[in-house]
Amino acid sequence: MFTNLTKLDLKDKECMSDAGSPKLCMKALPGEGAERSCAYDGARVVLMPITDVAHLVHGPIACAGNSWDNRGARSSGSQLYRRGLTTDIMENDVIYGGEIKLKKSILEIAARHNPKAIFVYATCVSSLIGDDVEKVCREAEAELTIPVIAVNCPGFLGDKNIGNRIAGEVLYDRVIGSAAGSDEKIPLSINLIGEYNIAGDLWGVLPDLKNLGITLQTAITGDAKFDDLRSAHRASLNVLICSKSLTNLVRKMEIRYGIPFMEGSFYGIHDTSETLVKIAKALGDPDLVERTLVYVQKKEEETRKTIAGYKKLLENKQAILFTGGVKTWSMVSTLAELGINILAGGTQNSTPEDFQRMKELMDPSAQIIEDTSSAGFLKIIAEKKPDLIVAGGKTKYLAHKTRTPFLDINHGRKLPYAGYQGMITFAETLARTVLSPVWGHLKREFPPREGELDD
Amino acid sequence: MTKLRHYNGNPQKNSPALGATLAFLGVNGLLALLHGSQGCSSFIRLQLSRHYKEPIPLNSTALLEESVIFGGWDHLKKGIAVAADKYKPQIIGVMSSGLTETYGDDMVSALASLRLERPDLEDLPVVLASTPDYIGSMQEGYQRTVEALLMTLAGQTNKTKSLGLADSNDAPSVALLPGCHLTPGDVDELKEIVKSFGYRVITVPDLSISLDGHAELEAAPVVQGGTLIEEFQRLPECKACFSFGQSMEKAGEFLKKTYQIPHFNIPSLTGLTATDTFILTLAKISGKTIPERLLRQRSRLLDTLADYHDQLGGQKIAIALEMDLLYSLGSCLVEVGSEISVALSASQGSGNTLSLPFPVEVGDLEMLEERAADCDLIIANSNGRQAAGMLKVPHLRAGLPVFDRAGYPQKRWIGYEGTQQFLFDMLNSLS
Repeated sequence: MFTNLTKLDLKDKECMSDAGSPKLCMKALPGEGAERSCAYDGARVVLMPITDVAHLVHGPIACAGNSWDNRGARSSGSQLYRRGLTTDIMENDVIYGGEIKLKKSILEIAARHNPKAIFVYATCVSSLIGDDVEKVCREAEAELTIPVIAVNCPGFLGDKNIGNRIAGEVLYDRVIGSAAGSDEKIPLSINLIGEYNIAGDLWGVLPDLKNLGITLQTAITGDAKFDDLRSAHRASLNVLICSKSLTNLVRKMEIRYGIPFMEGSFYGIHDTSETLVKIAKALGDPDLVERTLVYVQKKEEETRKTIAGYKKLLENKQAILFTGGVKTWSMVSTLAELGINILAGGTQNSTPEDFQRMKELMDPSAQIIEDTSSAGFLKIIAEKKPDLIVAGGKTKYLAHKTRTPFLDINHGRKLPYAGYQGMITFAETLARTVLSPVWGHLKREFPPREGELDD
Repeated sequence: MTKLRHYNGNPQKNSPALGATLAFLGVNGLLALLHGSQGCSSFIRLQLSRHYKEPIPLNSTALLEESVIFGGWDHLKKGIAVAADKYKPQIIGVMSSGLTETYGDDMVSALASLRLERPDLEDLPVVLASTPDYIGSMQEGYQRTVEALLMTLAGQTNKTKSLGLADSNDAPSVALLPGCHLTPGDVDELKEIVKSFGYRVITVPDLSISLDGHAELEAAPVVQGGTLIEEFQRLPECKACFSFGQSMEKAGEFLKKTYQIPHFNIPSLTGLTATDTFILTLAKISGKTIPERLLRQRSRLLDTLADYHDQLGGQKIAIALEMDLLYSLGSCLVEVGSEISVALSASQGSGNTLSLPFPVEVGDLEMLEERAADCDLIIANSNGRQAAGMLKVPHLRAGLPVFDRAGYPQKRWIGYEGTQQFLFDMLNSLS
């Protein structure tokens, strides 16, 4: 029933002993208040952006009820993925088992919503009461014409990263390569892995790929259709955008389908250009490389010209950066592009490599945030007194209590920051935040102390 | 109640542990600790913070696979100790989850064992609330937690501090127990109304000064604002207790039985007659005349009812809410002549004995979508947006979560003024 962790490629990384490094192999301490979420959350982050399938959570209301339709992953077509579907395990199910309810739910959802496939997520309670989700999925699948795919991700297996990996395994085992048609490689085509189309990020990058003549087979899994995912093995190159937690997936795809992979990022001018050039080179088309080099130079100049005004406003501001995944290092160079200095940086849910890369890019004087709990976060803000904080939405309102400008760069945001266009949006938004007149009002004492009235 | 489907589609239900967190967030200096895996607390934090636009102090015992095999008893002990040492809260509030309730961790013995090992934590109040995810919704979790708070903290004297707060010359106190259907703005209004009858109030929990969205003097990772621990100690001195929402009745009865305080349950405070009943009760027990301000508000409401009676009457309305809120808004709508054509509650609601002139079913928002097509208005939380969008029916946000409208936590739905505002909002949504 439980996923064998050794199969998940966890063993290929050494534990990092560096202070502040992501605790991939370390257990979270009870009560300390670090926020690393659970394996179920990690799996849903990766799989739930798949648009034309049903996502059914086999658990009590806490798993789906508090979280459905709460991420900013956007779709250009079907909205089915936004539907919150759960077996809503109740007391009687805990006592008598939930397998029958699960099977009936699967069949009912298939009939009502006509999905391309159904992903069924196991949770802590369903695992604990011994429901065999895989068996039920097999049985239901036999009665239906669509795949019913078990995702074995009870929260207690570990943090978000482990859930990401489980999702990668599921895509590899059950989805990719399962299309009926041709297996032939599509020339100059890529998969963008770990791109979830948050706030439409993917759509900011697509025009550039199109202009260069690169075909996107599918993103894994932003704005993805199930059938495109099934044919993901026909891409010529895998580009790993976010979260090395899906490294297991690209490695296995390389072995089975001979698809090479590379890493990249579309946050910031420098990383976007570098990634586009790397893609062109990896695709091995000399013409493409040449036109890409010309293209990125032109786009860089255009973008830099557009953001020059914002850069002037933001230059030499002091920031605290706190994020996860690829953004850990990619944001360092993005902020540097705007002339912003990083006073302190921290990460969660990143891989040790992401963390190392962030460290190398940051000024050596920048502090690494070791305590990633709210208490640690407040302490570092009090010590460093930054001009702005760039982090995930979870810390937004805490940051506001410190009266410091804050920009959300994770899944809660409304605006796309990827690609050249995204860089312009990012600079615009950041300038608006940092220069907002409200911070002055927040810092002004009221009523004024005596003698200050005439100021 | 017919069960049409085996799954819950677009749930309107929140988890009981979320309700528990909400109750704990109304107690000053408290740090809430969820006994479960880390996702349980992450989701609650996210859900509550996008509703309230506030940081949500909630820690977790971070259970992993081995604690599932060997039990989470030690994890809980360690979690309480770490939270106490690191955050120095005045109170720790622990709630259980589906995970720990399924394998049956005994929270009481874990706490007792910790107190033996750590005598220095002897004076730290720890409130234990049992909130399995598979029983009820937010309302039930909140209810159980308010009961746990009262049973653990009411009347307890702190060894290190003498009371000395209540002066015999002071105004008499009344205890207010607001249910989770009331916003921080509502609780604020409620306190003002009661104070206008010459009372001092002790509000448990008091979201009006913790989750009202105010700029803190200094940010902190524990609850700031809310009921003071000293106020819990003073509860036995109260001259009366009012509980709001049927789910709070048991908590009020507890105070009544334990301290012989007269208890009044006020199931709804929205609507003319509901507010009248409350105001008349206050006037009666206080022996004071009804303040001019309230009478003025009442006459404004009457005028509004007259002016808009035609638009209010005959509207077909679909409501999907937690039970207490459904009762409050539903009975107010019936009172003004609207027709409730669909009423879906998030959960059964415990011991619901109130009669409503329309049938109520437990249901999800997919059911709302199936039934509300010919309605004029949907009243549901923000998650009702999918149904409303698909049916092209106007959607008034109420309940939790409301994340796509500004100012919800500050909004008032109760009293004469709040009722008037609710009717305005409803009419404005229709056009």
